[in-house]
Amino acid sequence: MTAIIEVRGLQKRYAGSVAVQNLSFDVTEGEFLSLLGASGSGKTTTLRMIAGLEYPTGGQVLFQGQDITNLPAAGRKMRMVFQDFALFPNLTAWDNVAFGLRLRINRPRVSAAEIKSRVGRYLEIVQLSAHAEKLPHQLSGGQRQRVALARALVTDPPIVLFDEPLGSLDASMRKVMQIELKRLHRELRKTFIYVTHDQEEAMGLSDRVAVLQGGELLQLATPEEIYAHPESEAVARFIGTANVLTGTVQAGNGGFALQLPGGARISLGNGPADLAPNQTVTVMIRAEQLRIRPAASLAEEGLVARVAERLFLGDKVRYELELPGSATRLTALDAGGTPRLGIGDQVLVLVEPSRVCVISPRTGAAR
Amino acid sequence: MSAATQAPWHERRQLLVWLIPPLLWFTVFMVIPYCLLFYYSLGSTEYMTFKPGFSLANLIRVFRTEPYLSVLLKSARIGALTALGATVLGYPVAFCLAFHTRTARAKFLIYLLVIVPWWAAYLVKAYAWKTILGTNGLLNALLLQLHLIHEPLTLFLYNQFSVVLTLIYIFTPFAILSIYAQLERIPTSIVEASSNLGASTFETLTRIIIPLSLPGVIAGAIITFALATGDFIAPALLGGSNAIMISNVVINLLGVAFDWPMAASIGIVVIGVGTALISVAHYLEHRSQARF
Repeated sequence: MTAIIEVRGLQKRYAGSVAVQNLSFDVTEGEFLSLLGASGSGKTTTLRMIAGLEYPTGGQVLFQGQDITNLPAAGRKMRMVFQDFALFPNLTAWDNVAFGLRLRINRPRVSAAEIKSRVGRYLEIVQLSAHAEKLPHQLSGGQRQRVALARALVTDPPIVLFDEPLGSLDASMRKVMQIELKRLHRELRKTFIYVTHDQEEAMGLSDRVAVLQGGELLQLATPEEIYAHPESEAVARFIGTANVLTGTVQAGNGGFALQLPGGARISLGNGPADLAPNQTVTVMIRAEQLRIRPAASLAEEGLVARVAERLFLGDKVRYELELPGSATRLTALDAGGTPRLGIGDQVLVLVEPSRVCVISPRTGAAR
Repeated sequence: MSAATQAPWHERRQLLVWLIPPLLWFTVFMVIPYCLLFYYSLGSTEYMTFKPGFSLANLIRVFRTEPYLSVLLKSARIGALTALGATVLGYPVAFCLAFHTRTARAKFLIYLLVIVPWWAAYLVKAYAWKTILGTNGLLNALLLQLHLIHEPLTLFLYNQFSVVLTLIYIFTPFAILSIYAQLERIPTSIVEASSNLGASTFETLTRIIIPLSLPGVIAGAIITFALATGDFIAPALLGGSNAIMISNVVINLLGVAFDWPMAASIGIVVIGVGTALISVAHYLEHRSQARF
């Protein structure tokens, strides 16, 4: 597994503000890497610096070990799918796709027959053969997206960059294109670098996800790893529905427990090896890992809470729970099996100790 | 219009009240003059007085009798050269303004520099060119000073060159603003996509930017062509006998020869040719307009 792109201490400052600071990560050849973050996290700026559409104020970008930091965009072996598709409005779908093959950068020149067969093939791949002679404004959003995709892929670049490519599509089209992208990545075996603010999209599509905030890299790992073991509260809160709780560690008979401000206790089991009594720690529990029972079954050990809000979401029910004597609120996602609970009902919240992830202080053994 | 879509009477009455002043203006200063022009072109003159009539003789004379047609063609050529010069000079300025001017302040400054010369009267600027190009002008003084020539040259002034030069100077802002307005519509991402696909700056310019800016180029060219072709100050001040243009001929017919029917006939021909040209340009402009 070799790194095709290495980002080394990348930095981008504008007059008075910092968009990206001291960013370092590798992109492995052939992987689908997402840069995930809210707007202003620096994800698009990072992608544009990799593409050469913007130049960093510090740091380096390496392509296959070579420094390309100051190489103009036209000389880089990567193609981009833009957020607004950026199709050439004066050219038909066919000519948009053929554009990159007709340029002088191709040495030797691509023959007319070769252009014809390749454009034809890629238009077929994106299922647009019937619309080849249409101008961009005559195509729907999803079709324009496909033209942009074919245009980026036709020159057979080792890396394809995506800048929120599905952002302007409606929800159903977005789902279709997600599956399409995943299939294309698997079949073409190219490196995909994908910018998105949609955490579900990033998790579903990517081999690895880089979570960015305020121009800094918070965590870079597989979607499973990021979901189960976020390294910071910000990552935990950004992805999925998380309960982040802070309390004091107490030694009990069955191992450690977390004492919450209101007096409630959550069992940590044996916990990470370096957990010590009286230590203040922050933990994360995924909303779907909280199991709730009607308060009648008080025999089991758990947290006593009161239902503050109940939202029916179709495939699951979302409960907002209040802990007595505390401002802390818990969110539980129940996928069925629990009798219907009403607002104000007393419930018992059960947490499997192994599902409690200690976020801080960071402990190596927690992973 | 169906009853459902028709505005109620009191609303239409209100609209009518608002429309009366512009309609009145349009009638008095455009419709009536056009009719008068037609009326005069059909008449004739006897002892320098107008005689109403119904004859196409004057219109035929425009094409048959010298120097009308040749002056008309010369005017059109000067207009075309001006349009060409203004486009060639104006395009790079508009391009820089649209793509290479980062800050809003710099943009405003260039914009201002393009517009500001229009605060000075046209006549003054034409005179300025006279003092630059004349025998005792700045250009000759400079060349003498550099010992490139030994006596002042007369070839700069009173010919078609001086007229075209002045007209280009005067009308280039129209070309710049027209091209700029079109370039401004091109999204930055399109230019970025082009270079991302491997296009050189030159390829991006010829394959994407110029085709997309064509409607602005055509509009700018037609404006500068029309303004220059019908100009009379530049030829009168800087043209000499060699660069008499159609407006000068019309003025002479009106004010010196009192041949109003002939002047009106030339006007009709100019309007006819102008309408045809603008229609063609409009068609081309429409065809080349990409939908973003």
